[in-house]
Amino acid sequence: MSDLDRAIAQLRACRPIPEAEVRELCHKARELLIEEGNVVTVTAPVTICGDIHGQFHDLMELFRVGGDVPDTNYLFMGDFVDRGFYSLESFLLLLCLKVRYPDRMTLIRGNHESRQITTVYGFYDECLRKYGSANVWRYCCDVFDYLALGAIVLGASNTLSPSGDGEAQGSEEDIEIEVCNADGQIMSQFPRQPRGAGNSINRQPPRGRSPNGPTSNGVGPSGTAGGGAATGGAGGAVGLPTNTGPPGSGASGSSGGSIGNPAGAVLCVHGGLSPLIDMVDKIRLLDRKQEVPHEGAMCDLLWSDPDEIDGWGLSPRGAGFLFGADIVKVFNYKNDLSLIARAHQLVMEGFKEMFDTSIVTVWSAPNYCYRCGNVAALLELSEDEGGLGIFARSNGDVNRSDGGLIGGGSGVPGSGPRGVLMENDLASLKPGPARRYRVFQAAPQDSRGMPAKKPVADYFL
Amino acid sequence: MSAPSIPNLLSLRGASSRGRGEARGGRAGSSSSSIASPTGTVGQRRQQQHDAVIQGTDNDAAVSRMSAVELGYLDDPFAALFAQPQPHPHPHPQQQHPAAGPGPAAVRRLPIINRGTYARTTAIDRLVAQFLADTGPADGSSGGFRQIVSLGAGTDTRSLRLFSSSPPPFSSTSSSGIIYHEIDFPAICARKLRAVRAAPQLRAILSEPETSSPSSTSQQEGQNATPAPEWWTSRGPGGSELWCHGLDLRALALAHHQENDISCSTSLIRGLRTDLPTLLLSECCLCYLSAADAGAVVGWFGARISPAAGLGLVLYEAVHPDDAFGRMMVSNLAARGLRMPTLDVFRTGADQERRLRAAGFDEARQLTVDSVWERWVAPAEKERVDGLEGLDELEEWNLLAGHYIVAWGWRGSRFRLVEP
Repeated sequence: MSDLDRAIAQLRACRPIPEAEVRELCHKARELLIEEGNVVTVTAPVTICGDIHGQFHDLMELFRVGGDVPDTNYLFMGDFVDRGFYSLESFLLLLCLKVRYPDRMTLIRGNHESRQITTVYGFYDECLRKYGSANVWRYCCDVFDYLALGAIVLGASNTLSPSGDGEAQGSEEDIEIEVCNADGQIMSQFPRQPRGAGNSINRQPPRGRSPNGPTSNGVGPSGTAGGGAATGGAGGAVGLPTNTGPPGSGASGSSGGSIGNPAGAVLCVHGGLSPLIDMVDKIRLLDRKQEVPHEGAMCDLLWSDPDEIDGWGLSPRGAGFLFGADIVKVFNYKNDLSLIARAHQLVMEGFKEMFDTSIVTVWSAPNYCYRCGNVAALLELSEDEGGLGIFARSNGDVNRSDGGLIGGGSGVPGSGPRGVLMENDLASLKPGPARRYRVFQAAPQDSRGMPAKKPVADYFL
Repeated sequence: MSAPSIPNLLSLRGASSRGRGEARGGRAGSSSSSIASPTGTVGQRRQQQHDAVIQGTDNDAAVSRMSAVELGYLDDPFAALFAQPQPHPHPHPQQQHPAAGPGPAAVRRLPIINRGTYARTTAIDRLVAQFLADTGPADGSSGGFRQIVSLGAGTDTRSLRLFSSSPPPFSSTSSSGIIYHEIDFPAICARKLRAVRAAPQLRAILSEPETSSPSSTSQQEGQNATPAPEWWTSRGPGGSELWCHGLDLRALALAHHQENDISCSTSLIRGLRTDLPTLLLSECCLCYLSAADAGAVVGWFGARISPAAGLGLVLYEAVHPDDAFGRMMVSNLAARGLRMPTLDVFRTGADQERRLRAAGFDEARQLTVDSVWERWVAPAEKERVDGLEGLDELEEWNLLAGHYIVAWGWRGSRFRLVEP
């Protein structure tokens, strides 16, 4: 067993590793992270996670629900530390896994990965308490400076892969959104909606290249898949599958879809957008290796929030901005994105799609601060399996035949007017990738070697 | 601090009790499991345990106040007299120091708690200031005298801040003619007496305390503990008086139930004036009683304070036990041994308004703590407070502060507690 594996085992038991090992780990991590761009490219399948905030036992629950590393390819969107009582163990474990399985673990920076914030919100105090000095905090902060600012997920499929729950597979004809509980049982499914009309921002000529550049999806897979049969019943109006066979068994056809990401790319960032960033490529140009500044593009990416406003607004957080649906749609269109995944805001239901599903908040700290009573979620994007994933292009066919169809406002979250789009009209506002949310609760307090003393949440008494 | 003067709860851990202001003070509330009650029934013992936990909430509040003061949220020169930061009565990993050495001088609460402490203190201070402004020396009908009764006052510093007229908003109120009663468990009353006696700087605003004979019995004491005084009192500026009563509020409730409003004796609360405009304060206190007892306590005062004098009540309590946050709050507090029986009955702000009207108050108002912050804190002050630490998570703030409410009502025409 290598030192690293031993450290992983120790951290999995929620026991800190010695200071010298932390130092070495952080050194290795920095060497690794320095090679990453500001925007890491990640290929589906990937499981996207939001804030962790030192809730170590809930992180273990997350791994139980989402699958272990390296079996599952993870992307964590920051805020590993502060608030919870085990920031140190949580962050160091994630970092160990990053060093051990660099291609299966992507960590991007949250606003709490900052010297200033961690001195106020707990991580600094925790390091001081557990090591008697601030050295480990310093090592970790040095790593923070090297964390990527965002990630682009490529190759996500329009259809869901089997959920791992043996049952209920046959009905995934054209499911856009599936919500599972912690045991993998499907709690709800939402069929893909047709693209509705009426979205003015989309009736524009196609823009130039996507920032993703030539991608793996340009080859084989995307050119072949199609889903005539599967889409027959999926005009959005009904959720009845017309094909009850297992995925891949019943449908055929050619896609004729656009080249590139069949589902569009997904941008992952901790907070949100910045008025200084209109193209993803501009994120790549930032000098990220520094403390999170109080303002500017880098700050905004880690601090901003979507809000029901037009354009940009001042953030009540005192850093970053608020941005409205119009901002997101224009940004996604210009950047050939189908979705922005972000974290940063507590969502009681664990995830929240907004603005016609053009942006989603994923929150992965259940019962946040041991007090909020919320559930957590992680977001799974399946791999577009090309010839196997025969439904991958189905949506394109739907759009082609029913291009002007109004997406009747069913009860589907995020339905309603969402992009237009005939696929060969332009490469904008692609149909979002199929999304599976796994919702989970806080780890049980008395199991899995939890400390006997339950963490106490403060109230106003 | 002489440990033997502290009845059982404190003296059981007396070895760790040292002088006022030192890092390690008494452990009120931390030793609920070790309360000796040789003659008590199981029910009594459980009640005593709950009482001990409730007393611990006072230290919780004092520590939170100290944190807010040290970080500049609140201006309170007296907070340090009462805060006993170590050990925290409900230690969590953040506050355990493995080296067992003395902890930091004060526990620093998270920004969200500091802001909440600020908001609740500000809200009640403003209502108190409003009451005092309406009933001050300019109001001739009672010679400028008025009365405040703080239920479960604990180590609250409001009386001292009023008497010293120092920090806002009391810098503009008259410190004269305030009859201030504080009622709490005898152990807490005694602890406050010790702190007041040991603080020379208080002699500027308070005379040397006089106490009742300490030989009388008190329901909180064990057999071999030195009894706490039933009451102590000290004179303040301009005829003001501070009275601290070591009294279980359930005794008032019992008296109210038994007397049925006939005798209306005030002997349980020495020094109580029934002819003065009176403001009752319950800052997270009545919520620990049964709804019937809580109502009876208010009824006890309602039956005694002259209708012409006017009576007001300010409540600060939790609300909304039914949503996800509220359920977790109830569960987390239960894990600390803390129950809020009235929360089952008064679940919303509207319930609290109805409660106040049912208790005989002509007017009733209520505001959640997040609304207090939004509406009662001026923009410049908001900016100042936000600048102290920053509060990065508004969702959590709205959740937490939305589950606490300030509700108030008043009767009579002597004062009006319209929204300040």
